[in-house]
Amino acid sequence: MQANKKYILSLKEYERLFDKLYTSLCLFANKYIGDLDQSKDIVQDVFVKVWEDNVGFQNENNIKSYLYTSVKNKSLDYLKSKRVKTTDNFPITEIAKLETESFFLREVVVLETSNIIENAINTLPNKCAQIIRLSIKDFTNTEIAEELDISINTVKAQKKIAYKRLRPLLKDYFILIAFVFDNTN
Amino acid sequence: MTIFNKIITLSKQIASSLLEDKGFSVLEKSELFDKVNKEYIIKNLTDESLIKRRLRLINQVNKKKDWKKVKSKIDVPVRSIYWKYAVAALLLIGGVITLFINQPGDIQRFNDPVIVNNKILPGEGKAVLTLETGEVIVLGKGVDIKTENASSNGKELIYNNDPSEKLTYNFLTVPRGGQFQLTLSDGTKIWLNSESQLKYPVSFNNTQSRQVELVYGEAYFDVSSSTKHNGLNFKVNHNKQEVKVLGTEFNIKAYKDESNIYTTLVEGEVAVSVRGINKVIKPGEQSNFNSILNTIEVSNVDVFREVGWKYGAFSFKHKPLKEIMVVLSRWYDMEVIFENKRYENVTFNGTLYKNQSIEEVLMLIKGSINSYEINNKTLILK
Repeated sequence: MQANKKYILSLKEYERLFDKLYTSLCLFANKYIGDLDQSKDIVQDVFVKVWEDNVGFQNENNIKSYLYTSVKNKSLDYLKSKRVKTTDNFPITEIAKLETESFFLREVVVLETSNIIENAINTLPNKCAQIIRLSIKDFTNTEIAEELDISINTVKAQKKIAYKRLRPLLKDYFILIAFVFDNTN
Repeated sequence: MTIFNKIITLSKQIASSLLEDKGFSVLEKSELFDKVNKEYIIKNLTDESLIKRRLRLINQVNKKKDWKKVKSKIDVPVRSIYWKYAVAALLLIGGVITLFINQPGDIQRFNDPVIVNNKILPGEGKAVLTLETGEVIVLGKGVDIKTENASSNGKELIYNNDPSEKLTYNFLTVPRGGQFQLTLSDGTKIWLNSESQLKYPVSFNNTQSRQVELVYGEAYFDVSSSTKHNGLNFKVNHNKQEVKVLGTEFNIKAYKDESNIYTTLVEGEVAVSVRGINKVIKPGEQSNFNSILNTIEVSNVDVFREVGWKYGAFSFKHKPLKEIMVVLSRWYDMEVIFENKRYENVTFNGTLYKNQSIEEVLMLIKGSINSYEINNKTLILK
């Protein structure tokens, strides 16, 4: 019925959006400008604009795409103006590199993936979490067992527990706004 | 699909693959990045010093403090006061409300819901145990009981493992707004969803096949293997179908107010028989028996969506709001009225966590409804 209608966030959803994405977006801006405090200001400005302009969204990816793109543009603007205003001799070729789509996309992948992983691991009991962290760093079961001074069977059993707990969560990948319009409607 | 959507999907796939110790094959196969960028991504996700650096940066971000800054800039107080007055004014002019709400205009946001004495709460562990003597025991939070054959901590009922020749039966009934877990004397674990009833023997004898009856409702079975029980198989009966198993995990959904019985297999193998027809189903498959048309069909399903309730979530894909509300009404023990019938067929995707309040759930669908009203245990979608 309203599948393609743009959806305006309520204050509560807006706050949730901030809660979920603010940190990742700050790190994202930091990749461009290498200044975390300045990055925070940029991301806050982007959020304020979303509210004040009543920006509407169709779905969760649409929101993310908007936020990442806006933060990227603002970061690049900042770099360019800084180059003009100060004696900072940030090479223009560097800026050109930052402006490429592949730079943008790969940073999004790194932040989105690590964010999902962190959130997932945080739902696990301590021991499980430690084991999964090591396994992501490509430790074998034997290496994990040695590192944590436990038996291989414990490692395997804990991994099994972790997978069982994570699977239903990963099915929907910690969706930001749990319900989105069904676009096939 | 836009490139950005592909990137988000890819991120999710990489995350689950890494969490499940399956490496980077998804990324390696992807056409979205060249080799150099792929290596960059892998390094950033697995290299200890890079992970640590990222965590250090994350710790330098104070989300709470910065949210206050943003909030102070978007003058929320002014807006919310304005809305309070607007609603008060509307309440005064009573009859005009509907007309006003239905007028598209500069009001873009959802209308404040009307909430009177909200008694709709998420469900919790509760059930009623009926003993072979007919005695009734209420189980739930804070109730520790011990009978001759079983004990409960308020969340789970566990039967002792002592075989007996004579079969006597107990009933476990889970009301709307409840859920409960049960371990039978043979070690079989059963999760009962809201509004369900199971009849089962207090203990099994070692000569006959093990049988329980799902009288109505939904249950997830993790059956203790027949190899541990002299090869005796396990049967779940229902007045319309029978499921024969050898040791496996599966879910049966057979609600009184639905004409379909769904049997979903998670692991192992089961045979579903209905009126002389036998269907063997494999993991990932679901049989759907329609008692009106008298047909049985087997199809592939997303198993974790089907059994998500056992893990504390309801997960829906392309589900009309009407069906979603049937599921929710059992868990929240509420009555749902669609004042606007058009909402019934709006479909949604997504997952709801069972510990969410009803108001939180409704926040998520408010983009497609004008407003709602809660009065005691009734929810009206307007």
